[in-house]
Order: sequence, then structure tokens, then C-alpha cells
Amino acid sequence: MKWKKLGKIFNPTDHVLPNRCVEFAQSPQTLVLQDRVRVYFSTRERDFTGKYLSHIAFADFSRNMGELLGVSAEQVMSLGGLGCFDEHGIFPINPMRDGDRVLGYTTGWNRKVSVSADASIGLTISNDDGLTFKRYGTGPILSSSLKEPFLVADAFVSRYGDRYHMWYIYGTKWQKFTEIEAPDRVYKISHASSSDGVNWQRDGRQIISDQLNPDECQALPTVICLNDVYHMYFCYREAYGFRTDPSRGYRLGYAWSTDLENWVRNDRLAGIDVSGEGWDSQMQCYPHIFECDGRIYLLYNGNEFGRYGFGLALLEN
Amino acid sequence: MFKWKKLGKVFNPKDMASPSWMHEFAQSPSVLVREDCVRVYFCSRPAPGPDGQYLSYIAFIDLDRRNLFNTLRVCERPVLELGKYGTFDEFGTYPVSVICDGDEIRAYYAGWTRCESVPFNAAIGLAVSRDGGETFQRLGDGPVLSYTHDEPFLLGSPRIRKINGGWQLWYVAGREWRMTDGKPEPVYKIRLATSDNGVDWVKLGRDLIPDKLGDHECQACPDVTYRNDRYHMFFSYRDIRNYKGREGGYRIGYASSPDMVNWKRDDARIGICLSEIGWDSEMVNYPHVFWLDGRTYMLYQGNGMGRAGFGLAVLESEDAWGQA
Repeated sequence: MKWKKLGKIFNPTDHVLPNRCVEFAQSPQTLVLQDRVRVYFSTRERDFTGKYLSHIAFADFSRNMGELLGVSAEQVMSLGGLGCFDEHGIFPINPMRDGDRVLGYTTGWNRKVSVSADASIGLTISNDDGLTFKRYGTGPILSSSLKEPFLVADAFVSRYGDRYHMWYIYGTKWQKFTEIEAPDRVYKISHASSSDGVNWQRDGRQIISDQLNPDECQALPTVICLNDVYHMYFCYREAYGFRTDPSRGYRLGYAWSTDLENWVRNDRLAGIDVSGEGWDSQMQCYPHIFECDGRIYLLYNGNEFGRYGFGLALLEN
Repeated sequence: MFKWKKLGKVFNPKDMASPSWMHEFAQSPSVLVREDCVRVYFCSRPAPGPDGQYLSYIAFIDLDRRNLFNTLRVCERPVLELGKYGTFDEFGTYPVSVICDGDEIRAYYAGWTRCESVPFNAAIGLAVSRDGGETFQRLGDGPVLSYTHDEPFLLGSPRIRKINGGWQLWYVAGREWRMTDGKPEPVYKIRLATSDNGVDWVKLGRDLIPDKLGDHECQACPDVTYRNDRYHMFFSYRDIRNYKGREGGYRIGYASSPDMVNWKRDDARIGICLSEIGWDSEMVNYPHVFWLDGRTYMLYQGNGMGRAGFGLAVLESEDAWGQA
């Protein structure tokens, strides 16, 4: 794979966003419409406690991705109710066309006491081409289980044949790496499948091998099938020190599969890396691959987890 | 009509002569009938931490099978550690329901975690003992029954049964957190999941027991007995307000069903009520019904949701189960 970087294409601080959000456009994910490409992302407001709430918004681009057509003026979906899994944020959303409707697989966040937060995967449904979404129930469709105790998140769903496939992440542990700092988390990529997109059977195993060490954090898988080979991009980082030390921060990882079961990880084949300087020089994260008019694109975030927006790359070969 | 004769208080950790890790509370009794004794698992608490909050652990006592008021042994330490950092059961394991499965004993319990906007959340865990019930180990760090689209939080009050071949888990699921007198208060209802192996569960996905107090009624502890071709459920229910005392506190309810799914509530048949004075004068709740040597007994917790321990009643006539 070889990617040509097209640069940063969206900066949230240049726009007025719904829900009083001012910064962050994280985890861009697309819904290709007849006349545009709708790019959903998560942006943030601060609540009365000073903590962040993540909200979903979108930006519309022309189908050649060359022109920004507009930004969502209204709220795309509300946050969850009191005590619900998505009360304190939705980040990210994975939109998927499913006949006349659009399924939106959300990651909902709720704050806890001993650790900062937990997450589960929810389902929202849109019947207006993704302008607004309604929840399927007040609870999640994929949450903690015996072997996946917390932080079930980052769903990416595709249909192959008559099966829905979901790639997602699950937490394996919370660990204090120093006495004085808050605990950090470790999470891995897994897979589940479904006949209806609602009820899921989990494989119950980590499907992408670790590259750094057993505490490697793997996030946000995105999968595309090209010439009968499945290609997965994701991001990975060290569990500790990743916010301040660029050498421990997120990078893009790559794996391929021919059977959707066995994945061969080989980051050297990713064909993209951090830049020497600029908006994606310290970090690359939250990749999203999509196809439009015969071209394969990669959206991703750069430095500071996407505080100042996302950029685009084009597959060359 | 059931008619229960109260036999008195069985256990309160505060009554123990020697020091114990148990400071107060003996909640949610669940029995294993053994050759020479009746082992009662329950949940108890050390003294609260500096923040005033409690942790809850699973414990047991052994009662003399011929005289259930003769305590043969009190467990020296909790049988299950609390969960790891950030897990669903980091801050408590309560209530508990135990069952034998071959050489193993399984404990299904609600695990507690603490949250920011609401005080807590719960999910149902599973731990197994291979040493006769002295110690239990989790099957995994996560819950065996967790949140789903129509059961968004607070999965608790598990009661595990194996009736007629399959496994059944009666439990409660949170419906909403409702701001009540300025505080978030949960509303939860009784539900059922079934399984072939006790590990992989299929939720029925609907409330089983009609409300008596209104849609804010909280239901708990669905204790199911199969007798005379019918399913009988003794459970607890309470108001959303003033539930820490006599006024709105837990009472015992009753329902019966021909098929585990369709239930007819008939609290008038329950035949046990508050005492005039004493340890169960404000609350009678978390009933557990069991069969022993030709008699039907009920263990239940009293005032303060078991802060004052649990006691025993015996069913006066087996005719109460009705005709098949």
C-alpha cells in the first residue's frame, strides 16, 4: 500500500459547531451520499465540571473531497440519559448504509470513580441520510463480558456476503504506571459477526498481534476489501506516556487477511507514517478508509488526538 | 394462602463473640443443603471506609441441619476477593446466589462499581469453587450478564436455578435513574435469562412481574421454587421514596407461573409480614425458600436491608403450594 498525503482538510476551530463545541474533530468516518461525502467526527464541549463531553457532528465534502460544502448546523444525536452508557460522550460513530437506513455504531462514554471512564458500543439508526439518528434502546448492543471486562469500543462494521462483521476493541486492564498519576488502560482489537447488525457473536480473542509489547494499546480498526484481500488499518501506542512523548504516541498499524479470521500484522506495509514536521508529525491516529468514485481514501487524525482536525491521504497503487 | 411461622433471627455479625472481618450486615442468604449442615452464603461488610462507603463481600456460615439455630462455623474470611481496578465488581459483591454443578459450586453475584453522575452501577458476575465452597475464582474479569439495549444498567439480584434440565437466571435490570427529592434513584424490574451451560445466557427481554406500587416500583430478589408443576416466585419490592425505613422499605411479594414466563402476581398469598417489634419490624425482604427434611423454610433479611442480619421462617402447611 502506498498513500499520498493530501494534508489536513478540516479544522474545527474554523467553524461554528453545534452543542457549543469548540475544538476536536476526532475519528472522521464517512457516509458516501449521492452528491457528497459526509464525514462524521467527534467534537467536544466542556460541561459545568470542566470535563469534556464528546458530541457527534459532521462536515460535508464534494465527492472528490476537494471542497468543503458545509458543517452540521444542528445536533446529530443527543447524549444518553442519566446513568446511561453514553451519558458523557459519543466518540466515535461508525456510519454504515443498510438499505434505506443508515446504521450508526457509536461508542458511548460514562464517567467512573476509580478509573476515569468506561465505554460500550451502541446502535443508532437514521432514516434521513444521516442528518439525525435515533437510539436503538437506552443501553448498548455490545458491552462488557466475561473476557472483555470493560472499554468495549471503536466499532467498525461492514457487510460481506450475508454477514455483518464488526471490528472493535476491548479493555484488558487498568494499570497505574506511577504512584502519582491516574491509571492507564490497555485495549486490543477483536471481531464479532452478526446476521442482523444488532445481535452479535464475539470471536472472544485478540485478532491483531502486539508489535510493541503486551501493554500495547490498539484502537480504531478500519477494514476494506481490495482484490479479495482484506486490509485493516488501526492505530496503536504505548500504554504509558503517550500524551506527552511523541515517540510513545499513536502510529498507524496495518494487517491483512484473506479469510476474515487470520490476520497478518505488518506495519511496514502500511505505506504511511508520521511527517517530519507539521500537523501529523507527532501522532497519527483514528484511521478510516473509504472508497468514492474509484478512489480509495484514508482519513486520519494527527497531533493531539485531532484537537485541530483531520487530514486525508489517497491510495496511489 | 401461604402461612409462615417465624422462628427467629439466625445470624447477625454484631452478635458474634469473637472479632471478625464482618462488621455488620448479613444480606441475601442462599443455601446449600449438605449431609450434616446447611451452608448459608450471604453478603457482609467490614466497617465503612473514611468516605463512609461500604464494600460488600461474600461469606458463609454452617448451620446444624438438625437445629438451624445452632451455628457450627463462621467463615474466617471472604470467599471471593473484590474485582480488579476498573472492573464491574471492584467495590462490592452483593447479592449472591449459589448452586452445585457436579463437583463445583457456582456463585452468581451482582458486582458493584462507582460512577460519577449516579452513585453506582452493577452487573452480574460468576465465580466457581473447586474446593467445596471455601474459596471462589472468577471465570473472567468481566460480568457473565451485562448491559444490552433494553437493559441499560444495574443488572443485579441474581437467583440461579436449574429446573427441568436448563439453567435459569432470574435477576433485575435497571429501567431508569429518576431524580427523586433531588437525588438520582434507580428503578429496576425482575427479568429472566436462560442458558444451556450457565455461562452463555439468552435474555427473555421483558419485565415479568406487574407493578403494584406504580411504574416507579423497584423489584428485587426473584427467588423461584418449582412445586406441584408450578413456578412460585417470592421476591422483594419497594417504593422509590423512604425505602430505608418501614414506610417505603422492601416487602415480600409473590407470583406464580405455569411456564416461567407468564406470571400472576398475588401478594395477598404471601402470608408473612412485619413483626411488631424487633429485628424484622421495619423490613422483611430478600426471601430465600428451600426444602429441608420434609419442611419448607424461608430465610429472609430484616431491618435496614439486612443490617440486622437474617432470620428463618417455616411454612406451616405444604398445602399452600396448591394443586398441580
